[in-house]
Amino acid sequence: MSTLSVGSHAHDDAHGGGHAHAGSFLSTYVFSKDHKVIGIQFLFSTLLWFLVGGLLALGIRWQLAYPWSDMPVIGKMLFANEGGQISPEFYTILFTMHASVMIFFVIIPILAGAFGNFLIPLMIGADDMAFPTLNMLSYWFMWPAFIAFTMSFFVAGGAAKGGWTSYPPLSLTDMSGQTLWLIGLTFVGVSSMMGSINYMTTIIQMRAPGMTMFRLPMTIWAMFITAILQAFALPVLTAAGFMQLLDRTAGTGFFIPAGWTANNAAAASGGGQPLLWQHLFWFYSHPAVYIMILPAMGMVSDIIACFSRKPLFGYKPMVYSIAGIAGLGFIVWGHHMFVSGMNPWLGMTFMVSTMMIALPSAIKTFNWLGTIWGGNIRFTTAMLFALSFVSMFIIGGLSGIFMAATPVDIFIHDTYFIVAHFHYVLFSGTAMGVFGAIYFWFPKMFGRMMNEPAGKVHFLLTFLFLNGTFFTMHILGVVGFPRRLADPYHYPTFHHLRPLNVFMTWCAIGMVATQVIFATNFIWSIFFGPKAGRNPWHANGLEWAAPSPPGHGNFDVQPVVYRGPYEYGSPEVDTDYYPQTQPPPAHTEGAPAPVPAAAH
Amino acid sequence: MTWIAMTRIAMNRQANIALRLLPVVATLLLAAGCGKSEPPVFHLNMIAINQAQIPVEQQKELANILEALYGTPNEPFVLADTGLDLAKLKIAAGPVRSDQFGREGGLYRRQCGHCHGTTGDGRGPTALLLNPYPRDYRQGKFKFKSTERAAKPTTIDLDRVIRHGIPGTAMPAFGLLPESQIAALTEYVKYLSLRGETELRLINAIADLSEGEKLAATREGLVDEIVKPLAETWTNASESIINPEPQPAGEAAASVAAGRELYYGAKANCVKCHGPGELGDGQTNDYDDWTKPLVEMAKSIASEREGLDTNTDLDSTQRREIQARLALSSLILETDSLPPRNAIPRNLRQGIYRGGRAPVDLYRRIYAGINGAPMPGVGPATPGATGTLTNDEIWNLVDYVRSLPYELHTPAKTTAAPVHASIEQNRF
Amino acid sequence: MGKFWSLIFLLVPVLGVAAFVVAPWYDHWLPRDISEHGHTIDHLFYFILWLTGAVFVATEVVMFWFMWRYDSQGKANPVKYMHGSHTLEIVWTILPAATLLFIAIYQMNAWANAKIISPAAGPDGILGTADDMRPMLEVTARQFEWRLRYPGLKAEGVLGDSDDIHVVNDLHLPVNEEILLDLKSADVLHSFFLPNVRVKQDAVPGMKIPVWFRCTETGSYDLVCAELCGWGHYKMKGRLTVESREDFDKWLAQKYRDQEATQDPQLVGKGDGE
Repeated sequence: MSTLSVGSHAHDDAHGGGHAHAGSFLSTYVFSKDHKVIGIQFLFSTLLWFLVGGLLALGIRWQLAYPWSDMPVIGKMLFANEGGQISPEFYTILFTMHASVMIFFVIIPILAGAFGNFLIPLMIGADDMAFPTLNMLSYWFMWPAFIAFTMSFFVAGGAAKGGWTSYPPLSLTDMSGQTLWLIGLTFVGVSSMMGSINYMTTIIQMRAPGMTMFRLPMTIWAMFITAILQAFALPVLTAAGFMQLLDRTAGTGFFIPAGWTANNAAAASGGGQPLLWQHLFWFYSHPAVYIMILPAMGMVSDIIACFSRKPLFGYKPMVYSIAGIAGLGFIVWGHHMFVSGMNPWLGMTFMVSTMMIALPSAIKTFNWLGTIWGGNIRFTTAMLFALSFVSMFIIGGLSGIFMAATPVDIFIHDTYFIVAHFHYVLFSGTAMGVFGAIYFWFPKMFGRMMNEPAGKVHFLLTFLFLNGTFFTMHILGVVGFPRRLADPYHYPTFHHLRPLNVFMTWCAIGMVATQVIFATNFIWSIFFGPKAGRNPWHANGLEWAAPSPPGHGNFDVQPVVYRGPYEYGSPEVDTDYYPQTQPPPAHTEGAPAPVPAAAH
Repeated sequence: MTWIAMTRIAMNRQANIALRLLPVVATLLLAAGCGKSEPPVFHLNMIAINQAQIPVEQQKELANILEALYGTPNEPFVLADTGLDLAKLKIAAGPVRSDQFGREGGLYRRQCGHCHGTTGDGRGPTALLLNPYPRDYRQGKFKFKSTERAAKPTTIDLDRVIRHGIPGTAMPAFGLLPESQIAALTEYVKYLSLRGETELRLINAIADLSEGEKLAATREGLVDEIVKPLAETWTNASESIINPEPQPAGEAAASVAAGRELYYGAKANCVKCHGPGELGDGQTNDYDDWTKPLVEMAKSIASEREGLDTNTDLDSTQRREIQARLALSSLILETDSLPPRNAIPRNLRQGIYRGGRAPVDLYRRIYAGINGAPMPGVGPATPGATGTLTNDEIWNLVDYVRSLPYELHTPAKTTAAPVHASIEQNRF
Repeated sequence: MGKFWSLIFLLVPVLGVAAFVVAPWYDHWLPRDISEHGHTIDHLFYFILWLTGAVFVATEVVMFWFMWRYDSQGKANPVKYMHGSHTLEIVWTILPAATLLFIAIYQMNAWANAKIISPAAGPDGILGTADDMRPMLEVTARQFEWRLRYPGLKAEGVLGDSDDIHVVNDLHLPVNEEILLDLKSADVLHSFFLPNVRVKQDAVPGMKIPVWFRCTETGSYDLVCAELCGWGHYKMKGRLTVESREDFDKWLAQKYRDQEATQDPQLVGKGDGE
């Protein structure tokens, strides 16, 4: 792929992207093949679904704080006959769809689809992805999934209610909502596969001259390895989803034993195993959780190095750690199944591998701490979110050790200890990292700055409320408070835990309300934020050499890379940063001359 | 100028504007969610009303009468004549709550309402997912009890169902609830049933009125004609308890063999419905008494529609009128009922007995049949009369039925293995 | 402002530790352990809690300290320009690796006792011989109740004949005896969770899974379903009553009588049905 010709796009500086060709509104902003537009499409879609997922979570929290009371909004809309009191199966819909939306419509697409798409070509010095049409399709393939999930709320029986893990045989007993869920998942899977192929190819083939693999920013390494994870793990989920679809619609028996029946329905032909689903599902879904954090880890590394004004500590160990997490991530899936009835000898093997996967995460944490040590820290909003990622990830990672310990897992499996763990890594970790990334790369995306004080208020309130909501879940888990119970207070053991749940619910409400500040800031700043220059943060990456926002083709001149991305505080120059594309000082011999831009 | 200074300048100008937007957005969001739900109300039995063609004004009158007699879901009321304990009803009714002493209220809504419905019509939100559907109390018919077929269940019968659940169905066993709560719920079930039957009788009474006539002007009239007789059926239920004569002494095997003969014989003819392999597959086309009216209604709507197509005598106004009426009936059938299901005879090889597994329970099922279901009784229809089978014969059948789940092979029957045989597999 | 933010981050270890210290005072802690192997599990829990707690406090405090100390305060201070430390990388790879491996191996015995070494084989340790332990009962999880089946009183300890005693949700067990039960499911996945006994095992349709434990105290405890099984997952409440062998036998005999009743207890003066 050749790069951009100089001149015709010099004025792209001040405008939004993608007007270089005289295209229609549709081809420029809707069916665009420009990776930046596609990235922003993903960003907007996922942020909207973030709101939906958050509101579903509030439904869960309300029921746990005020069980069987008149639920706000939903009670009036759906349960007027019952005075606003939700029904138990509606609760199962709430937690199933909250998780499904957050995992498949928010976290995975925002990391890979939004940031992966936007940043990869810019950070490696390419003018677009290797396969722009495939890229466009990867966004539009999300829409059938969006529609399927939305529709599922309105069909008879309501949306899927077997948990996001949709274990058979329960998921086979559900009505059409579950079928729509499976269809939605298939489309998400195909979209992710398209993306992963694109990212791998682009990163391998389209790096700018001088951009060796070990000069790539951590964001790119993370996106690259995540793409490999997607490619190897997703087909298993897609196959399993298809098998479940057949069990539901075509009378096959992959996951049900012979003569199986439930709810007085006719006996099934059977011949299968419920545990087979669990193995197939977790074989994907465990790497999926790493898919859901590695890109955030990469972005956080870039942000922390930038605002510490100091090189990233241990670049190569950081890269190897990401690879280690990904590799080990394929051999730990059984830790979700310790008490599932699988051969208990597997409890031994998976315990060892799961314990070991804590190691690369620990190494990364120490390296982040090493990065801020001796630095000159700028507490911008992006930096605050990135630092909170580290602080919260420590909690999430350490709580994982309890679960890896198989005998202890006997007690805490399916309790709120697990819920605490994954909310720490996914929300307090990844989502905070995502917020940081938004604040950091917003100027590049939209050519304007977000409001810093509003950002800091957003950070402070989110940070306080999330800890109030999720840290207390560890305590609930220690009591043995089970997951997915519409009314845990039936049980004398858990009867006294309601006040704590009330506290958590109000923290959660505060947390969701706080996001109004973020939404306002985000939307306002797109239109009215102060104009940003190319490099408002004085960062080193290639993306900061392009205009803000970059035009079609990204760079004015073909970037050439002279060094790694973390040369902050370098003694070679007077400034405290040293961009990758900046040629070394004139007296240095042997520096390659800038390559003249080729015709487009 | 450093980026920090730049940002600071930008902040001051834009921050004010941005933050001013905030309350507007927040208020809009809050407004969307605020406002409590209305208290729930009892729903009229629209199927019965539609079939009796009660006009709207009289529907309103009906609703008022019922409210005067029985109150609302949040504030129940009963006359003393009903024999019901209002204090218990108040504990069972209303929203889920607990007072400062930890005493719980709103028990019905907490435990029962999402299946049995606010009105006790068996159509709560969860009902669609269940097989069989939850009980509709409004006809006053109950399947599993100790009394004669047509009689009401005793309080202990209802208590047992709540305590032990109904095996093989979604009705859970609530035996771990405190005694006082089970007592309150039992009372509330009676209340809903009484209210439902009162409603049906009132609907019939209204339907029987001639043009311009009104229902009995005084409350006493209605109470005497309808409420009191209904209440008596409940209070007198214990007089109809089926008390089996003792089982004759003898060899168990002989009794089982005799039972088998009766099963396949013409007198009891169990095989007709329960099938030659006792799998419940003999005949599966029948409906229970809660479903029959719906099926009839659907059939009559369909046949009237057909008749409408072929009838050339009607003018367009008449035609439109009839079409509108049929459309309304159709709509009510769709919204006010669950999709009809056949009544399937029990698979006797599973060892699941919905009304209880003790010999006396099975005796009663066979003696009186199951009220509301196609299962007929073979005992005396009234006390003192002669039934199809004698006491000893019924005991033979009981023994036969109890032996079935443990009988691995029955020669010359279907070869389906009883589900009781455990399916063992090695761990995956 | 950097100092302010550092202090916000310092709240994490402070409030985090405070939460875990205060919780037991308010009875927000592990439920009472009434089992024999439960103390092993609890001990392992505490071991990991102290270990991770120490790491948690150390790393979070170090993070706070670095944030506080290296706050730029708006100035362009010099930084320690370095790309890493080979020594440090080795140290903080080997130490955690060794610790994690140790924790894993340390636990293996506890897991084996809980899930692999079943008492079913009896004193001779060989399955299929005469001294095998028979299950005391069979638990079938069903939407939404626990169906318990004890061997009847006629044939000694034999499950699966017409003699069996069927009980719902009301699990009684004798104290201080090794309990072996068979766990089955009638329809979908459930999970047999006794919080006070530290026992949890999924019930899988098509499988019969042995569960074993020994209760050391009498009393009444919860039986909870711990695997989503449908809308009534929360309703699958059972009660475990641990009592002396005599009381247990009496209870079982009463249940048997109720089950074999040919006359109605309500008519002969007893208050209890089936």
